[in-house]
Amino acid sequence: MLFNSYTFLFGFLPIVLAGFYVLGARRREWALLWLTAVSLLFYAWWRPINVLLIAPSILINYGLARCLERTGEARPAMARAILVAGIVFNLSFLGYFKYLNFVEGALNDAFGVGFTLTQLILPLGISFITFQKIAFLVDVHGGRVSRYSLADYGLFVLFFPQLIAGPIVHYREMMPQFRAAPCRFDAENVAVGVSLFFFGLAKKLVLADPLSHLVAPIYGQAAAGVPQSITEAWIAALGFTLQIYFDFSGYSDMALGLARFFGIKLPVNFNSPLKATSIIDFWLRWHVSLTRFLTAYIYNPLTLSLTRKRMAQGKPIFGGRNTNFPAFINLLAMPTMLTMLISGIWHGAGYTYILWGSLHGVLLCINHAWRSVRSRIWSNTKQYNRRVAPIGFVLTFVSVVGAMVLFRAPSFSAALMLWKGMIGVYGATLPQAVFSRLGSIAAWLTAIGVRPAWTSGSLLMAATIRIGLLLGIALLMPNTLQMLAAFEPALGVKPAKAPSRLERALTWAPSGTWAVGLACVALAGILSLGELSEFLYWQF
Amino acid sequence: MTDQERLTALAQILRDLLGDESIELTMNTVREDVAGWDSFAYINFIVAIEAEFRIKFRIAEVESFPDVGSIVRAIAARAG
Repeated sequence: MLFNSYTFLFGFLPIVLAGFYVLGARRREWALLWLTAVSLLFYAWWRPINVLLIAPSILINYGLARCLERTGEARPAMARAILVAGIVFNLSFLGYFKYLNFVEGALNDAFGVGFTLTQLILPLGISFITFQKIAFLVDVHGGRVSRYSLADYGLFVLFFPQLIAGPIVHYREMMPQFRAAPCRFDAENVAVGVSLFFFGLAKKLVLADPLSHLVAPIYGQAAAGVPQSITEAWIAALGFTLQIYFDFSGYSDMALGLARFFGIKLPVNFNSPLKATSIIDFWLRWHVSLTRFLTAYIYNPLTLSLTRKRMAQGKPIFGGRNTNFPAFINLLAMPTMLTMLISGIWHGAGYTYILWGSLHGVLLCINHAWRSVRSRIWSNTKQYNRRVAPIGFVLTFVSVVGAMVLFRAPSFSAALMLWKGMIGVYGATLPQAVFSRLGSIAAWLTAIGVRPAWTSGSLLMAATIRIGLLLGIALLMPNTLQMLAAFEPALGVKPAKAPSRLERALTWAPSGTWAVGLACVALAGILSLGELSEFLYWQF
Repeated sequence: MTDQERLTALAQILRDLLGDESIELTMNTVREDVAGWDSFAYINFIVAIEAEFRIKFRIAEVESFPDVGSIVRAIAARAG
């Protein structure tokens, strides 16, 4: 069941909470077992058969972790072999369900062979769950996880607020919380949880979902080969960027809020990414827990070993004054491209996702190269940041919005057509109604490539206002993490040292005013519940 | 070598890496305190330390240093 369904909101959640608090008042262990059991039910709700897939996978991973622990540091080669086996097992599991169809299609494209296999249905949240399990095995191998039981591990994997679409959590940040959680009703936790949840629900249902009606037809036309003017192309690009932005932001808030009902704080996953002033900054704000995973388990080990190797050979490393171009290629560009390629593939089995990841990889490389060169030609970092931040923001924004077209477009040719449209290759359009009132100016506009389209002026007006408003919220408003900062809405979030005036005005407090405000937000969300829609990130 | 000397050496390494002469480190400094010290720059910092002090960290350690002080202590434990 979806977080944004009647069943979840008025059936599952109240029963789960009541059970949790009642059992918690007797014995904490019962409450935690209850939480594990209902999480499994939550997972089984879509397709009960999924349980038959996830349960053995949990048992096998748990068994491997136990073996790893016993082998320990006494036999490092053996421990390594077990770890590799575990990673291969989890990746094969993911690969089978997620990529088999794609590989088969790619082989058919390349060699024209007529492979046909039954279309596999992706077990829900498998991409997220797989990464989390791999991280656990690596952590056990690295000695970062010590005591755990099957019940602990089961709860860690299945905890329903983050089961389907993250954040990707680490055992070492979750288990101490579960062990310390009082498992009782706590007014503050519930107040913070309710607020986060309804902010998220409203973002998803009121802000994100209606945008699909706006952008879907444009992507559909582009896919059908109809050229899109600069007007439509930008509406498609900005519209989808905002749709996925509020969809993911809303989901992340809901996950934080739901976990908080149980006294658990999840890590930050989404932190106003469109405010980023560089691509590096963007990835530290967008899907933070994925960036953290990829950095810790792919990029860092790779760079660490490559950098050591180069240094042992006496060649310059990347960074610092003695760096050179081969160092940049070997130690930064190569690992970055590989990491972002994996990120792209992880997001979806399709060429457009792979290209999207690679594009971000290239942008990150450019960002790093510039950073390395910049410090030599402009050494005053504070002054640089102040003066260049606005330019950085615009460049980042345009790059992110442009790249998002790949994320949504059904094919590469559709994305290419929209990009061409965005830079004006197919001219500009204005509504017919506006055109007919312009008189002689219309002829002049036609001469420079503007043509009438968009049957109604009010439609264009509505689209522009909607996109403008949403951009305003994304770029100017403090986010939920900032509003609730005093109550640590996500792990490690602290109040800003010097909050802006707007941030101070929008600081959440358990007050009457906020109660009324939040009731309105909740009502807006609940009234939009009818139109069931999945989260964009749930297909990954 | 004292912790203070190690700290001074670390600060110089980081200044060179980030090209920012205004960087100061204390035992309690965390990555978020230093502008531009992202996860990408962090790995270079670690390898530069390994070269400077002729030591080698384990990847699990590298991932779990909570602050600069813990790096200083890890160096001290190795280099003696």
